Amino acid sequence: MKNNSYLDELESKSIYIIREAYWEYKEKLAILWSMGKDSTTLVHLARKAFFGHLPLPVIHIDTGFKFRQIYEFRSKYAAIWDLDLKIVRNDIALKEEISPVNGGRFACCTQLKTEALKQAILDYHLRALLVAIRRDEHAIRAKERYFSARDKSFKWDYQNQPMELWAEHYKTKSQAGAHFRIHPLLHWREIDIWKYIERERLPVVDLYFSRHKKRYRSIGCQCCCQPVASTANTVEKIIKEIRDTNIAERSGRSQDKEREYMMQKLRSLGYM
Amino acid sequence: MDAGKSTLIGRFLYESGSVADGAIANIEESCRRQGNDFEFAYLLDSLEEERGGQLTIDTTQVFCRDKKGRQWIFIDVPGHRELFRNMLVGSSYADVAVLVVDAERSLREQTKMHSQVLKFLGIRQFIVVINKMDVACYNKKIFLKEKERISGFLRKINIKPACCIPVSAKQGDNLFNNSRRTNWYKGATLIEALAVSCRKPGGNNFRMPVQDIYKLKGKNIIAGRIIAGRIKAGEKVNILPSNKEARVKQIRVFKQSIPAAGFPANVGLILDNSEGLARGMILAKPRLPDVKTRVLAKIFCVYPLKIGERLRFKSATQNVVAHIKRIDTVWGSADFKAMPKIGLLRQADLAEIVIAVEQPVVTERFEDRNSLGRFVLESKEREICAVGIIV
Repeated sequence: MKNNSYLDELESKSIYIIREAYWEYKEKLAILWSMGKDSTTLVHLARKAFFGHLPLPVIHIDTGFKFRQIYEFRSKYAAIWDLDLKIVRNDIALKEEISPVNGGRFACCTQLKTEALKQAILDYHLRALLVAIRRDEHAIRAKERYFSARDKSFKWDYQNQPMELWAEHYKTKSQAGAHFRIHPLLHWREIDIWKYIERERLPVVDLYFSRHKKRYRSIGCQCCCQPVASTANTVEKIIKEIRDTNIAERSGRSQDKEREYMMQKLRSLGYM
Repeated sequence: MDAGKSTLIGRFLYESGSVADGAIANIEESCRRQGNDFEFAYLLDSLEEERGGQLTIDTTQVFCRDKKGRQWIFIDVPGHRELFRNMLVGSSYADVAVLVVDAERSLREQTKMHSQVLKFLGIRQFIVVINKMDVACYNKKIFLKEKERISGFLRKINIKPACCIPVSAKQGDNLFNNSRRTNWYKGATLIEALAVSCRKPGGNNFRMPVQDIYKLKGKNIIAGRIIAGRIKAGEKVNILPSNKEARVKQIRVFKQSIPAAGFPANVGLILDNSEGLARGMILAKPRLPDVKTRVLAKIFCVYPLKIGERLRFKSATQNVVAHIKRIDTVWGSADFKAMPKIGLLRQADLAEIVIAVEQPVVTERFEDRNSLGRFVLESKEREICAVGIIV
């Protein structure tokens, strides 16, 4: 293992937060796993936090629009890592054939992700979710707390967030019916994630690597993700590329850009 | 407040080349729609309410990397008094403070309060930026007058800033290069001032607050983060506050046993005797921290507090019922002069107090710079109502 005190510090903060979350919520806690690089790193950190035996379920919110490679990755590593995987879908909306074309992106994200998540929280009696968002992804996510409450109707009261100090003291109680989003990766940057993936030899979905001079920097639903021009076909080359680029990580993600404050609106309604 | 903190960080990001392509175009578009001039602050103030109201509501963090590969995290905080809770949140993560004052408006109450709070939180390195020099026509006299005013105040509260820089965040003067418009200024630019920053971790004695206890294959694993020092397998540790001893049989990380570990690792310890061990206890060696039932401390109040009010004292993983026993000195936030005692603490008061805890707690002086030297007080509603340090 390479000695890298900077990564050690990032990891230390994250594992501490994951263990705090488990202490607080026990079986009412789950991890959201999209099979992307960030939430895969989160799953790994949680496995580390609990000495290899994950005591909590891993939830995939399946919109049905994900890439084939993502589904393959899901079944492979759910088995290898012995995950308690729960797949959740908004079947009613899927039956109505909602899609970015039929209903618009805002409604599609809200129905297939946020609403599906609401159902999962009810079905599995959850009070808290570990979510792999990072501050450097989006200026709205940079406003987040490590422990972030969502009220009964999933609303994020971003204008009145509680105090939180030294990544050590958080507000962990809220009114009945509410749930918490816990963000153990908030302080990581995109490049840190890749350096950590390299150090820990973590697997990632093939879509991140260049094919035909293109690769995905951020993956989600097939219909709303665009690849970027890139020749980086190894983790090492990706790290070098990110170091030299000025293009935003989520530049290929449509839901961030459809209109101004779209991400703020989506998130205030309970989007990740 | 309104001195240009967000604009300064936005401009610094822009000059350093840390802004993603397209971000500037998006902001241009957003400003044009609102009929405003270009706002660098929008790189940080992302909420609709912040842009509409031209103020920072909540703290945010941005990463910055210059062409030489030097890296910083900038923490932006709101300046408005009503939002000072959010200012505390952001400031708790900082190593260096950059005080931004407006060249055209004399030293304001918020600047005084922020300086005091930042010092209270243990920040030792201060940089002063006199902003809006463009509005002040890059006038040397105005700069010197403001510099004297703020330095005079900081001297009184024992802060010695590393430097005082005339800046126009809007125009980019003296951030990366010495500006010709202030050719009378020969001191450091902001990037030079920031290059000297550093931070210290917390001491050489081993400290590990017990975070949780997991059962794995019939064994108790004591999970926790090492907040200071190192531990080797085979060594003896003291368990506080009970002061029992135990020997470390194994140090577990992920799926392995390792021979030794140190700050900041999260480990799992298997001890020869872990009976009665629980979250909130502290493992330590060789010099031991203090065990107390009366804690002398300085606190900064987020909400009003009364003597005798039932509170929770939280430090590292310790969480104990407590109340304020005595208020020794109170300094008001406006001028930080000692106030007459009234048995009551108001919002934003700084006070030296004695806290009575219902069970013994483990503390260390704040100067040792680890989690046992600082704490929060929580109200019945589980809201943080004061931030404190052990004196």
